[in-house]
Amino acid sequence: MTTTIDPENLPFISETSVSVEIETEGMTLNIGPQHPSTHGVLRLVAKVDGEQIFNVEPVLGYMHRGYEKLAEVRTYPQITTLVNRIDWVSGFSNEIPFIAATEKLMEVEVPERAKYIRLILTEMARIASHFVFNGAYPLEIGALTPLFYAMEDRERVLDLIESVTGGRFHPNFNRIGGVKPAAGAGPATKKDIQDLPAGFYQETRDSMETILKACDKFEDLVGGNEVFIARTKNIGVLPSEVASAYGVSGPILRASGVKFDLRSTTDYLPYKDFDYEIPTGENGDCYDRWFVRLQEIRESAKIVLQAIDAVPSGPLQAKVPKIIKVPEGECYVRAENPKGEMGYHLISEGGLGPYRLKIRTASFSNISVLPWLLEGVLIPDLLAIMGSFDFVLGDVDR
Amino acid sequence: MSFGLELAIKVGVIAAIAPAMALALTIIEIKGSAYMQRRPGPLHVGLRGLIFPIAEVIKFIQKEDIIPTKADKSVFKWAPAYIFISVFGLFVIIPASPTLIVRDLELGVFYLMAISSFSTIGVLTAGWSSANKYSMMGGLRAAAQLIAYELPLILAVIGVVIQAETMSLVGIVEAQKEWGVPFVIAGQGVAFVIFMVAATAEMMRVPFDMPIGESELVSGFLTEYSGIRFLLFYISEYINLFVMCAIASTLFLGGYHIPLLPVEWVNFYGPLVLIGKTFALAAILILIRWSFPRFREDQLQNIAWKILIPLSLANILVTAVMKVVF
Amino acid sequence: MDQSENTSLLDSLSSNFPSTTNDFDTLKIFVKEDEWVQAATKLKDEYGLSFFSWLSAVDWENDVSVGDPPKENVQPSFEILCCLSDTSDGNFVILSTTIDKTNPIINTLVNVFPGASWHEREAYEMFGISFEGHPNLIKLYLPDGFEGNPLLKSYELLTREVKPWPGEVDVEPMPESDEEIKGDDEQ
Repeated sequence: MTTTIDPENLPFISETSVSVEIETEGMTLNIGPQHPSTHGVLRLVAKVDGEQIFNVEPVLGYMHRGYEKLAEVRTYPQITTLVNRIDWVSGFSNEIPFIAATEKLMEVEVPERAKYIRLILTEMARIASHFVFNGAYPLEIGALTPLFYAMEDRERVLDLIESVTGGRFHPNFNRIGGVKPAAGAGPATKKDIQDLPAGFYQETRDSMETILKACDKFEDLVGGNEVFIARTKNIGVLPSEVASAYGVSGPILRASGVKFDLRSTTDYLPYKDFDYEIPTGENGDCYDRWFVRLQEIRESAKIVLQAIDAVPSGPLQAKVPKIIKVPEGECYVRAENPKGEMGYHLISEGGLGPYRLKIRTASFSNISVLPWLLEGVLIPDLLAIMGSFDFVLGDVDR
Repeated sequence: MSFGLELAIKVGVIAAIAPAMALALTIIEIKGSAYMQRRPGPLHVGLRGLIFPIAEVIKFIQKEDIIPTKADKSVFKWAPAYIFISVFGLFVIIPASPTLIVRDLELGVFYLMAISSFSTIGVLTAGWSSANKYSMMGGLRAAAQLIAYELPLILAVIGVVIQAETMSLVGIVEAQKEWGVPFVIAGQGVAFVIFMVAATAEMMRVPFDMPIGESELVSGFLTEYSGIRFLLFYISEYINLFVMCAIASTLFLGGYHIPLLPVEWVNFYGPLVLIGKTFALAAILILIRWSFPRFREDQLQNIAWKILIPLSLANILVTAVMKVVF
Repeated sequence: MDQSENTSLLDSLSSNFPSTTNDFDTLKIFVKEDEWVQAATKLKDEYGLSFFSWLSAVDWENDVSVGDPPKENVQPSFEILCCLSDTSDGNFVILSTTIDKTNPIINTLVNVFPGASWHEREAYEMFGISFEGHPNLIKLYLPDGFEGNPLLKSYELLTREVKPWPGEVDVEPMPESDEEIKGDDEQ
């Protein structure tokens, strides 16, 4: 509101109270798509007033690769290769639900040894993904050093994955019916069987022990740092009803207090044989989300230590025909990706490839709650909250 | 000696020392951070890492001079100069020994505070003239932060001035010589901590580097600067670090004075002692930089206004009372 | 827990929603178009399925430009699928309805589940389905000026005009015999 001042009749200031409000408009600030803190090419169009945000609108699609259409023109083994690249930080865990869906429709019985190897590699992928978070999140808050420590520990896990599968980020190790049984692409003869490498068990045990110690170190250095606590406690509180309504899953949902983990409710991998806890948080703020992921690294390391001692012997892949044709049917299989719930809805009409493959990714639903959460926060808090969501653009845009 | 010759010698010496100190501090920073972060590069590559500062300087010099189209060109070009001038101006009063000083002003401390606040203009104009929303936000944050932290800086030093009864820096060091212990032990410990915190904020180092805010504002007010202009900012940041630590060691730690060595040779060991103390303080600040995340501005302002200023006022009160009573 | 073992859930669902199937551990409920929002609300309130997983569509068409057509002839239509889950036991249900291709409109689920907003925007731009009542039905992924709805079966892919499906292998095939791949008995 502005007052008009009449120069002839200026009242004495002591007699009247003039109230003038200075109107300020918001400024539109474009955060991204190239920015050190958005994990990839995410663009947020933010209306800000000084440092405070009115509303935020994410603009997606900078990384859209058209996976669902691509899946309609590929055969099933080819899709296994593609699917690794959705959440590129934990490559192995993206293949699992897809392979499980195909095996379900084909009614193929996966041998126990293959299931255990899959479980070990999935948990290692989970550790790798959470270490990236552990290193990158303090970096966004301003602590420049934990990144290097986290990457060093992550290298141990990646070395283990590489020794088994040959690839660090995109292993492409699953086959329909089991895991890859042979070196190269030729037929599996007795000489060509390539199983777990020599020394794998002992190296895994040593690496997991080191990782457990590293988690203690992180909890002390990062979690005990007063500035870190001041920047993350009570910031970005997400209530559990809102999280469910938006489809937020994974560590974020668990940090809001909901004790829900797909590893314990589904049976695509033998998690029931192992003893592990499901960490939850109390408030649903950024500190809880960080802490839940740190605890998950510990739990995954414990699962791997138990699983390594219990791998049964047996074949690595069930008998499947050479050209894979999945019979008609429709099923939805979901798994616990490190980022959240990842699922594949496979509609097959008996061909060489699916009729329709719907990929449900975790980060897409996770960041759909950001406009609700980011109203009225300051810009540094926006980055703290976004970092704590730990999304990957390949997951969001597919 | 004639005035002109003396002036030329003094300017020459400062012009030689200041960048040398900045380079030395850069080396300490790079190697220190590489040790802490377990990065082997700066520890082994290139003559055990000593080539890095020279390589950086050469890299910056040979870059293209880019000025954004919508930027205010003359202001944009002058902004680094303000900061450069203000940090060089502080070299005038740093005593390397009772005679090795450019000019021992009677109003040493007063001059110090006045000139060091001149750099605020440089930061603000750099942010504003860059025609970039991020730079503007960085510049405004910087203005708020620098103004807020001037006060604890000044108030902390007033305690020292009361205790030494003089504002000239040589006089303060002589007073510490008389006391026998440096002021940090002789009652100004709290003021020392306040001064170091405020100095870190004045230099916009982590944990107070909101204006630069690397992961948020993509370098803040420095975003649009590249090449030699960025080099000016970069070097003045390190010279500022040296100068602030030198002043802190002069005011609180005893400057060029060490109790056991004979006084006649102070012209020889004075500079070395001063540089040693300065580098020790700088090493502590470097350690803190790589260990802490950064504060949000409202937390930053809280610390300045609600914690540091009342503490420094209390310090002045206590010092004055002790001075009168004893 | 295997869904097919949860007979109590299955029974109560079948009593309320007559056409429920449970193949391959996937509970699928068919409803009519006008009961879409009602069914979702009922599942949320009475069955505790308050976690919104995803929403998407399937284009049933006999005449496909890429890929294989369906085995038996289907009536061309859109099938909208919505997956809801609960957050305690891991039960999930896929709600499905069929809408007409010539006039693809359906009510929005945003008032029941706010998370449906982005999923519906994606279905809108990929299939051309409009959601009535959606507050902000604009494109999500595709760049401005993009024409067409990519996930329709009639949408033509340029590279498939050149190479036949499923894509000729670009390298020389490995020298191999035509046996089945056997899983070996040894480790």
